[in-house]
Amino acid sequence: MKVTLTMKPAGGSFIPIEAESIIPKSFLSGTDDISVWRGNRELGLSEVFSISVEGKADRPEDVEVIIAGDETFRLKRVGEYMDGGKITVLGDIGMHCGNFMSGGTIEIQGNADGWLGREMAGGTILCRGDAANYCASGYRGGRKGMTGGTVEIFGRAGAFLAENVAGGTVIVHGDAGDMAGAEMRDGTLIVHGDCSRPVANMKGGSCYVFGTAHALIPTFKKIGTVRHEGRMLIHFIGDIANRGKGNLFVKDYRYLD
Amino acid sequence: MIVKDVVCPFCGCLCDDIEVEVEGNRVVAVANACELGATKLTGERRMKNPILRDGDAWKDISYDEAIRYASDMLLSAERPLLYGWSGTHGEAQCVGVHMAELVRGVIDNTSSVCHGPSILAIQEVGHPGCTLGVVKNRADLVIYWGSNPIDAHPRHLSRYTYYADGFFLENAFRDRKVIVVDIRKTETANVADEFMQIQPGGDYAVLSALRAIVRGRAESIPQTVAGVTREQLIRVANLCKEAKFGAVYFGLGLTMTQGKYKNIRNAIELVTELNRHTKFTISAMRGHYNVYGSNEVNTWMTGYPFGIDFSRGIAFYNPGETTAVDILARKECDAALIVGSDPAAHFPRRCLEHLADIPVVQLDPYPNATTAFCNVQIPVAVTGIDAEGTAYRMDGVPIRTRKIFSTEYPSDEEVLSRMYALMQEDG
Repeated sequence: MKVTLTMKPAGGSFIPIEAESIIPKSFLSGTDDISVWRGNRELGLSEVFSISVEGKADRPEDVEVIIAGDETFRLKRVGEYMDGGKITVLGDIGMHCGNFMSGGTIEIQGNADGWLGREMAGGTILCRGDAANYCASGYRGGRKGMTGGTVEIFGRAGAFLAENVAGGTVIVHGDAGDMAGAEMRDGTLIVHGDCSRPVANMKGGSCYVFGTAHALIPTFKKIGTVRHEGRMLIHFIGDIANRGKGNLFVKDYRYLD
Repeated sequence: MIVKDVVCPFCGCLCDDIEVEVEGNRVVAVANACELGATKLTGERRMKNPILRDGDAWKDISYDEAIRYASDMLLSAERPLLYGWSGTHGEAQCVGVHMAELVRGVIDNTSSVCHGPSILAIQEVGHPGCTLGVVKNRADLVIYWGSNPIDAHPRHLSRYTYYADGFFLENAFRDRKVIVVDIRKTETANVADEFMQIQPGGDYAVLSALRAIVRGRAESIPQTVAGVTREQLIRVANLCKEAKFGAVYFGLGLTMTQGKYKNIRNAIELVTELNRHTKFTISAMRGHYNVYGSNEVNTWMTGYPFGIDFSRGIAFYNPGETTAVDILARKECDAALIVGSDPAAHFPRRCLEHLADIPVVQLDPYPNATTAFCNVQIPVAVTGIDAEGTAYRMDGVPIRTRKIFSTEYPSDEEVLSRMYALMQEDG
């Protein structure tokens, strides 16, 4: 089954649409009962989108949802608690896309706003553009961020990438922002470009920075150099400020001295 | 007439030993207060009556008309923002939260642009804090980190730290040491026993290094960290470990610089580490006299301290998304009620551009920068001068502010209660 949702223009309003109901499973029983919220108003799905449905499906894995339109950046919480199937966003997506996701695939062809894949437990998120702050992180005050699955960003990532990450894999092909992998507990974080202050206060897991780690936290202990997938990387363990046993591998680094 | 034991409604110190001389409806002299408090207590040129924007001019309107305007504006909005709250008493803040829930709006207070990060850090790792009285009577080491009390909280040093007598200190002025950490040599740094000057943005690195040194890992630290030598870091760490009772006070130099709540988290974790060696506490230098109260009221009523979004009927909290600056910059609200603050004087330009596009009602005794963005402004009595109510001191101690004299102006609570009653009828 292929569901295409084309967002209608809002006439200049920037009030976000909260659309946690847009997950493949919802469309197994038609589109009539699905609603979304614009601020404090509940709206039927058809008030916000032109809907076209092709084919039939009995399980979420056979559903693909395609989201189109010029204002898809206003959509929040798309794919929240998704457990199978596929969502493709043809443009940019708003905050909290793929929150708590446990299976299936989300592909974003544009940029993603904050908290992409927050507290994700499984499945795959591919973002062809940039991801904003708190990609693959946790909730405020929470102890665990992402616990499983894969997030791959082909552009750049913002600050606090994979904060509190406790499992799974996060790959950023461009640069990442400040405090990448802060409080990392477990899992793998790979940044192909530069980033600043990576894995501050980390306790476990592995982080690879194939560019330069700027303003490296001074409490990482240098162990030596290792060869990893054809690259020579400098190996640190830390964060020794908290008895951490994480591994940080960087191609190059600078202290704020 | 002389009024004694007045509570100063300016900063988070909430000094309660002020004496004022009143003539009619004016404070003519103030004793014991600092320059900032005295200026507020003797403030003049209040707005006389509510005003409504009428094209390029202002039109005088009645309180009934102004309250009706605000009520209609909030009820018809899809995502109203109710912002401010730190410059008013707790009773008014309570009505504000009820109102936000009724109209399903977003309620945020000024801590989202000051000590909000401190609260985020406390939510992560807790708060080893204490009241100001404990510090006054026991602390033999006080650290001001990214805060400059001589300019911002002028009586903090004399009432609670450097110049104050302490019950458990024989010669407080000699026994008490002060360390100042800042990016520039401030007035407070001039009186400090030790001044640690760090590079802008270097707080986190310095805090991490201190934690490692306190843990006995000094050998792993580079020769300099963010402009501070390893020798000085070791000296400061030893001063902390050797103190009988240490207290850290941090300001916006720590909360609003790069890394924000991670800086505070690191400072709290340093204090936690120091508690393995001695007694150490940490507290925020809160700004507005009742900003702490707005966090208290919001927390006991909604579970969250600021940035609460009721649009779905339940409280949702996510600073960075449900906070005033973020909502305004992203044009995500369609009306605003401002109470007891002046966002136009403090918010980024992009936020103000949206504030100019939407209907805005402000409750404030004085014309201020936000007046220029208002459709309606309602003058109210000033809490602590001609209105009374509960405020929370920076250490979380509630103190009831007093009414020094009476005026015709209604208090924030009265205006908001009337607004709320109208909304309940119409909503």
